[in-house]
Amino acid sequence: MKLTIVILFVSLLQVSTKVYSQGTKFNLNIKNKRIVEVLKEIEESSKYRFFYIREQVNVERVVSIKANQATIDDILEELFKRQGINFQVMEDFLILLSPEDITYIKTNNVQMQKSISGTITDEFNQTLPGVTIYIKGTSQGTVSDSNGNYSISNILKNDILVFSFVGMSKQEIVVSGRTKIDIKMIFNAIGIEEVIALGYGVQRKIDVTGSVGMVDANVILERHSFNALQGIQGKIAGVNIFSNSGSPTGSTRVIIRGMNSIETTSDPLYVVDGVVMENFHLLNPNDIEHIEVLKDASSAAIYGSRGANGVILVTTKRGAKNDEVIISYDSYICVGRIRRKMDLLNSEEWLEVIKRGYENAPKYSQYDDGNYPSISFTDPLLFDSNENPLYDTDWQEEATRTAVSHNHQFSIQQGNEKSSTGAFLNYSDNEGIMLNSWLKRVNAKITYDAKPNDWLGFGINMLINKTWENEIEEGSGYQMPRRTMIEFVPVLPVKFPNGNWSNSSSTNNFALEGMANPVHVLTTQERLRNRKQFFGNTFLNIHILPGLELKTQFGIDNQIAEYKEYSPTDLLNISYPNASADIDIFESMYWQEETFLTYNNSTKGQRINAVLGLSWQERTYRFNSLSTSGFSDDFYKYNNIGAANDPDAPTSGFEKWAMNSYFSRINYSLNNKLMATITARIDGSSRFGENNKYGFFPSAGFGWVISNDDFLTNISFLNYLKLRTSYGITGNTELGTYRSLATVSSGTVLLNGERANYSEVSKLPNPDLEWEKTSQFNIGIELSMFQNRVSAELDYYHKLTSDLLLARPIPHSTGFSSVMDNIGSVSNQGVDFLFTIQNIQNSEFNWETTINLNFNKNRIEELGENDEDIFPGPFWVSGSQTILRIGEPLGSFWGYKRLGTWGLDEAEEAAAVGAIPGVAKRSSEREIIGKGVPDLTGSFINRFEFKNFDFIVDIQFSQGAEIMQQFTHSIEDRTGYSNGLSTILYDGWTVTNQNTMVQQIRNAPLNGQNSEVDDHWVVDGSYIRGSLFSLGYTFKEVVLDKIKLNSCRLFANVDNAFVIHSKDFNGYDPEATSWGENQWGQNIFFFQYPKPTTITFGMNVKF
Amino acid sequence: MKRIFIVLLGLVVLTACNGFLTEEPKSEMSVDQFFTNPTHAYNAVNILYRSGCTDFYRTGVYSGSRAMLGGYISGLFDNDYKGQEVHVQHCQDLTLNGDNLSAYFDGAWDACYDAISKANFLINNISQTPGLTDLEINNLTAQAKFFRAFNYYYLVKTFGNVPLILEEYSSLENIYVERSPSIQVYFQIVEDLKFAVEQAVEQGGLNDVAMPKNEFRISKGSAATLLADVYLNMGGYPVLENRYANAASITREIISSGNYSLITNGTTNNKSAFNIMRQSDNKDEYMYSIEYNSSISSSYWQPSICYPSEATSWGIFKYSVTNNAYKPTNEFLWIYDDEKDLRIQEKQFFHSSLTYLENEIEITKTFETAPYLWHDDDALFETGKTDKDIVVYRYAEVLLIAAEAIAKTEGVTPEAIGYLADVRSRAYWQTERNVIVDELTGLSEDDFIQQVWTERLREFSLEYKIWSDVQRTRKYPVTRETNKGTVSFVDVVGHTTIWGKLFNEKHLLFPISENERQRNPKLTQNPGY
Repeated sequence: MKLTIVILFVSLLQVSTKVYSQGTKFNLNIKNKRIVEVLKEIEESSKYRFFYIREQVNVERVVSIKANQATIDDILEELFKRQGINFQVMEDFLILLSPEDITYIKTNNVQMQKSISGTITDEFNQTLPGVTIYIKGTSQGTVSDSNGNYSISNILKNDILVFSFVGMSKQEIVVSGRTKIDIKMIFNAIGIEEVIALGYGVQRKIDVTGSVGMVDANVILERHSFNALQGIQGKIAGVNIFSNSGSPTGSTRVIIRGMNSIETTSDPLYVVDGVVMENFHLLNPNDIEHIEVLKDASSAAIYGSRGANGVILVTTKRGAKNDEVIISYDSYICVGRIRRKMDLLNSEEWLEVIKRGYENAPKYSQYDDGNYPSISFTDPLLFDSNENPLYDTDWQEEATRTAVSHNHQFSIQQGNEKSSTGAFLNYSDNEGIMLNSWLKRVNAKITYDAKPNDWLGFGINMLINKTWENEIEEGSGYQMPRRTMIEFVPVLPVKFPNGNWSNSSSTNNFALEGMANPVHVLTTQERLRNRKQFFGNTFLNIHILPGLELKTQFGIDNQIAEYKEYSPTDLLNISYPNASADIDIFESMYWQEETFLTYNNSTKGQRINAVLGLSWQERTYRFNSLSTSGFSDDFYKYNNIGAANDPDAPTSGFEKWAMNSYFSRINYSLNNKLMATITARIDGSSRFGENNKYGFFPSAGFGWVISNDDFLTNISFLNYLKLRTSYGITGNTELGTYRSLATVSSGTVLLNGERANYSEVSKLPNPDLEWEKTSQFNIGIELSMFQNRVSAELDYYHKLTSDLLLARPIPHSTGFSSVMDNIGSVSNQGVDFLFTIQNIQNSEFNWETTINLNFNKNRIEELGENDEDIFPGPFWVSGSQTILRIGEPLGSFWGYKRLGTWGLDEAEEAAAVGAIPGVAKRSSEREIIGKGVPDLTGSFINRFEFKNFDFIVDIQFSQGAEIMQQFTHSIEDRTGYSNGLSTILYDGWTVTNQNTMVQQIRNAPLNGQNSEVDDHWVVDGSYIRGSLFSLGYTFKEVVLDKIKLNSCRLFANVDNAFVIHSKDFNGYDPEATSWGENQWGQNIFFFQYPKPTTITFGMNVKF
Repeated sequence: MKRIFIVLLGLVVLTACNGFLTEEPKSEMSVDQFFTNPTHAYNAVNILYRSGCTDFYRTGVYSGSRAMLGGYISGLFDNDYKGQEVHVQHCQDLTLNGDNLSAYFDGAWDACYDAISKANFLINNISQTPGLTDLEINNLTAQAKFFRAFNYYYLVKTFGNVPLILEEYSSLENIYVERSPSIQVYFQIVEDLKFAVEQAVEQGGLNDVAMPKNEFRISKGSAATLLADVYLNMGGYPVLENRYANAASITREIISSGNYSLITNGTTNNKSAFNIMRQSDNKDEYMYSIEYNSSISSSYWQPSICYPSEATSWGIFKYSVTNNAYKPTNEFLWIYDDEKDLRIQEKQFFHSSLTYLENEIEITKTFETAPYLWHDDDALFETGKTDKDIVVYRYAEVLLIAAEAIAKTEGVTPEAIGYLADVRSRAYWQTERNVIVDELTGLSEDDFIQQVWTERLREFSLEYKIWSDVQRTRKYPVTRETNKGTVSFVDVVGHTTIWGKLFNEKHLLFPISENERQRNPKLTQNPGY
């Protein structure tokens, strides 16, 4: 008992117990040893000595402990966690171990602490009801009452109490034996300490004067997709992401704050860890730490001539800090199925359509009396003796499958004050729901950061990404599977009993358009895309003077893609009879070197953050391409294209561009109240004319945190209010190379049975060619109210893009169709709105709602010299499907109006325009009949947390776009060559159903057809999508201890569960294009790769 | 300080790159390097063989070829896919204008001016090319001028007055050019063709042989035939510039050279001249033909338009799509005397049935009459690709131009009668030539000329001359089922087609694309559109 007295004595002397515990760090790896042995080991490897009474402390307990650079506190905490043992580190490395009740005796003279209570107030000494209080690491807790009082029992001395309240900074308080703890909660003025990446450095969020959207890794990964862009769809105000197909890559297209350009793409600039990256959609989303989107001029002008479409800044994960070793494994498996089938004719219905087509034939063509065409279904391969079909194939079913995909991400992050490393490995295997559609990726990334001394920093980041894909053709209009899974007739089987594939020539009972069956094509055609990317950067950071740093970084993005295609000899109307093979190799090599000085200083409420730097960039690109046909069988494919007897001329190409830039940004902030940013960049680009190599891109931004001004501090519900505005100019250089020069292109032509060389002048020069300029005005407000339970961010912008890079039409009588010029202008104005409300927040249940809206209006202000209409394509039946016309939005659909169908009583009027009753009645002139880009898009996201469960409901919507259903041409306006929509049979014109848009059944092989682009093809493209339902479970610590994990979350998602759209829409998904990269192809599609509904199961584990 | 020094040094090194922003294309040549080597001149001529309206003879399976447009507007040729190929429908309905077919007419206009621009560049720059002899310069220039004329001829026939541009563009100066009167365009065409025809071979002039014997390069005969056709058309509407005498003299020159001849009939109908034309690319009858080759430059779909669209379901073709894209109407087919005329017999110019074996059973399919001239057995049944050339001018046309031009200037002379009889007697394979001569002898000038016109319709039924003849004569051929082989010519203006559409004067020219009119505000539209 002597020792107890010593303890009491020591504690009465009130010796500090903290000082000595921090110094020494331990690395322990002990398995199944008694505590007494562990203590002994610690004593041997340090100066610490332990004191305890055997009867009071159970040191025979067997434990395992693993520690890396741990302090003595950490280790003892781990050893005696919840064992009722206290430890105190005293002077002279003496450690006392004692049962808790003894400590209480020493400090409080009570035996056992039963409860604790107190009052909670805010900064203005108002009591705060509804504050959540819980004991850290447990589910035990309470909520403050209407007077701000709380009381909580069964507290242990070393417990930590967590106080949390929406809009307030969370506080953690160690009980330390106290029975009464009063707390003053501090408003968490949003973003005061939050730091965001802005390009060439970071800034405190409160100082930012531009409009910047942000998403973190956990949000990106809520949806588990191959492509990170799908993960951020609907998550950032002002950023429109179109997920245009159900293929594994998702074929995304990004438009930030509307389309600016006519000739160049609307793609934003992707900057990954400071390096510009191409093909961002192939990057592994699991490697991403966070994404910032620079939307306005104040933020994007630092990227000058490449910033006009907005900048997506991506920061990837790196090593750990704080002496941790984090090992994590994340994986999911998902199962996808076609969400909806198009409503097509089945065998019986299709045969009825054929019959009626024959019945109607005399109306459309002249036949001699008694010589009317007739049909009977007699092919014994397809019909029984009663003319009933033997088959009723559902080609949508046959051509698709239940797709199973899985993804595995393994990472190790480790680090301390001097250095850190991270290693990340990803394998992703994705099946598309169309047969034989797949995409695999292996992605490895290694980072190393070092700070060997106080003036030098160094880092390197290397990424290798390899993808393999069998791509299903999503463009073009011939008989590819996307189309034939709709058009192939149901009366044919996939294979006949003899094992032969069916095709349109399998029967001559009908006059089918030549096509191979979709299952046959999907199974035997190869369209392989193998891509390799080596991406990396390295930097050196030198601390020159206090506040002044110099950073120089070098980055590369090297991508090699190899496309190999083979279409076999027996695919009718594709590659029959000669087969075809293609090999294309593309390589791009981009490097950039950037060096910049950063100055940071803050004194007496003033902060200055300044950047000054220069940049060099260069990109070379080359391609080689071979194609051939004339294979005698399907053995060699692309592996030996020399085996084919009819090769095309090989082609190759090379191009290169370079840029040299100087940039600067100065941000000044006063008392967290007023802030201003001035940005400027000078860009020189090889892509511009001799007379205009360099351009200047300035911007200025101003911010005012009104809530930090005195006159607003008394408005109690207002926590944060910031007004900011900016104006500036950004540019666009993204046109091809050599466009300012007159060049001569060469190749070969047929002459005298051989190839003869040719050369021709292919372009007119324009030495004055320069970049496109977008001047953008932005005004925004950031608001946070009611103890930050409600926060909102609202931006209005007006962009005017002038000097558009435009293949300016010139009279074609010059021999040239256009000259690349800076002409015309386009405006975009709109509103980005982000609204978050914490509906409920307590220890058991949290509910947060986010609403995200983008509204954009686009208008062509000026075009070429004569303001002529431009027909930019896509070109299809009846010519260009869109028009560029002053006063109209970019990408307006161009076609006739369908006024209905001609009625019997209108026969005379119909005859005047060459029509007869039953066929479409159209306007006489073409006009604008819709547009493919929406006015309003947004999302409505609810996130719930209940105990260990979390639940996300993500609803996305789009309004104001139309869809041009080009497939109406071949599956409704035209019948007899293929299968079609059931509307043909049920809505088509008949004598008793004359008030319809759908034309009378007419057998096209007999009597032709009537089909032109008109607004019957166009339907409202607005939709509401059940984008994501996600349920997660995070394991409690108690369980984790047992299974030896640090953290573990299991989840199940349903993606794309439902889509509510116009009932007139006949396709799969209202958001699509079959025109690939075509700027104007949004929501115009001939047929679609169906978008699946997927169910995902996954886990995130940290060891 | 040392650190700062290192940094500054680094900056200096980085900024010291010169010429970093200079663009140096490597896959294309810059325009000032062009015509610095003799081969450049050859290369610049070679592309003309496949530019401009030479490409209008290549067919699509649905759309037909551009050269078929006249057939469609005449109403005498049809296309099953007209409901989707709007140029066919609008022409047949006579509802075409510069708006609803703007893209279509852009295509024609653009291609011609593209070729003209290339020819201009060559004609104006060739003399500065180092290393070329004068003979080479003359020869290449003659070829280029042929193509410039050929393309202007298409433009002037199609659109009437068009901008006459003879200089190549290297900047945006003077790009808005007004339409020149048709007659001026014709004068330029004549000047270019005279250059091509009149140079002696010793000066580098064109060889006086059939094109296939000239390594498929333009020969003197090609240029002379085009010139004869131009003279013939100048004499007609709309310019009415009488050049029949020139037409007569140039055709006589071609005929008297003895270097060109009609293909003669073989012993069976399978070996008739018309089947030889179908199969052979190398004949002295071919004055100008456009080469095709399945590998290098293919007229891929040409054989597949010899069958109706339902024929794909027979499962016997190596083509996945067929379409009777230039389907002669019955009214057209009645121009032939179906007893006397070989050309209308099955499997000469046309066919309407096919017999084949399926599982060793003989199957015969019949269908609406379709062209047979482009039928390529090998392509359709074996390989799926064709090498057959398409002939633009044949010696038969030289003879018929001669007959008409002589009749116009010298009367219905035995010479004129003889030329017409040469062509007709080959087709009337069971009729003696002198019977034909006798029938023609004693006809009035008008009657004789109408016989020539009729013969042109029959002989060139699948060579797209029909609308050109309507344009220049303003006469429209009318036939009757009860009187096959007899054609009466009525005024086209005011005539109603078999589709019930009324021709008026505007239809004799096609409209100018409204797109081009926007691009060039100086362009007026043709009257009536």
